[in-house]
Amino acid sequence: MTRTVLLWLAFALAAGAADQATIAQGQKQEQRTCLPCHSLRIVHTNRLSRAGWNKELDKMAGWGAKYTDRDALLEYLVATYGDDKPVAPPEMTADGRK
Amino acid sequence: MQTNRRQIFAALLAAAAARQVIGADGTAIPGKRPMILHNDRPEDLETPVKYFDNWVTPVDAFFVRQHIPRPAAIDPAAYRLNITGLVSKPLQVKLADLEKLPQHTLPATLECTGNGRAFYTPKLPGIQWGRGAVGNAEWSGPRLGDVLKLAGVDTAARFLEIDGADTPVMQTPDFVRSMPMEKALHPATLLALKMNGQSPDIHGFPARLIVPGWDGTSWVKWVVRLTPVAKESGGFFMNPGYRYPKYNLPPGTPARSAELEVIEGMPVKSTLTAPEDQSNAVLGAIAIRGFAWAGENAVERVEVSTDGGARWQNAQLSAQKLPFAWRLFTLNWTPQEPGYYTIMSRATDTAGRVQPIVPPWNPSGYLWNGIDRVGVTVEKV
Repeated sequence: MTRTVLLWLAFALAAGAADQATIAQGQKQEQRTCLPCHSLRIVHTNRLSRAGWNKELDKMAGWGAKYTDRDALLEYLVATYGDDKPVAPPEMTADGRK
Repeated sequence: MQTNRRQIFAALLAAAAARQVIGADGTAIPGKRPMILHNDRPEDLETPVKYFDNWVTPVDAFFVRQHIPRPAAIDPAAYRLNITGLVSKPLQVKLADLEKLPQHTLPATLECTGNGRAFYTPKLPGIQWGRGAVGNAEWSGPRLGDVLKLAGVDTAARFLEIDGADTPVMQTPDFVRSMPMEKALHPATLLALKMNGQSPDIHGFPARLIVPGWDGTSWVKWVVRLTPVAKESGGFFMNPGYRYPKYNLPPGTPARSAELEVIEGMPVKSTLTAPEDQSNAVLGAIAIRGFAWAGENAVERVEVSTDGGARWQNAQLSAQKLPFAWRLFTLNWTPQEPGYYTIMSRATDTAGRVQPIVPPWNPSGYLWNGIDRVGVTVEKV
């Protein structure tokens, strides 16, 4: 019984670690894929469902975005900027008047 | 090994410093006072509501919306406006030629089609504009009709296609728009060379379209090509971009593409600028202020409620009752007791349109015009 629980726990931990690795991989993918065209604020200020992010990735692919790990990018976006995540307070620019 | 570690540490420090420079704390947009930063490349900047106390919004406080990177600085001497398509003689017009045409000045409110998108539920992709993707400026330049007359428009032309000097990155679509010739030739439609008497700078120097009462997307910046055409055109930013469902949809559901229509005139709307949302005020006289606008119409009335919408009273409106331009409103309010108050504003235009409590949800989050509201805590000193 104890052994089963331990095995289950080890599996759960491994699965969790894998998720974190996927998310980290997704973040790297974001840097590689999105930054050539625009900064990331436009991504990070959105809060979308999995279906919503999936649709955005399709739209960007149509505009030339190349994904080497689309699944990881989707996992990262859902985990970090999902529609269940709180909206961050707005950022302000510095004074640009000379 | 030791050296390598030091090098890595130095590189990490340099990376952290670089991040600090590009972080919001250090990001400054040339010519702009501190603005709400939605994106810095390309620039998408929202005006904080506290800047809105003047009828004319200063250029340095005016919101910025860019779909694709703005063009490199345009040399006014080298600038050419190409008029092509269904015209008697295709032309390249110089800036000096535009300046020689009769100049007109028009106050008009410019609002991003997605202003207020952040208020829709379920949430929608795109810039999460709050209340400040709007501004009112005095635009000066020749009538677009006078510019087109230089080339002579063919009677077969039903639409005008407009392109700006901004160019897409990778395979993103170019920002090209079209509008019915009737609106292009409307006497209030201008090719602005000045904004509040100044260079339009980031807002489309040297020439930007002014399409009074229509959504901001129609007001193409850095105009370099005008092409009269027989049919509506313009690519992604005309279809499927910037379309609105003909029939209201249940929130969260997709639109039928055949039932999406091009957005033209903007709805009636008001925004409260004072008191600031979630602020504190001292028990006594409190000024409620804001502005209201109504697309191609003028604002007829603004009502204000200080009790969450149970009772309403008319606010005082600024004297100029113009189509296309906003009106400021004020109401002097003296609450009798301390406590938390929900203040609301509701505008009505000259065509009888009234701001709704619940604007229709739509899949791109356009045209939010719900009754505005702010909360204020009134305290005894």
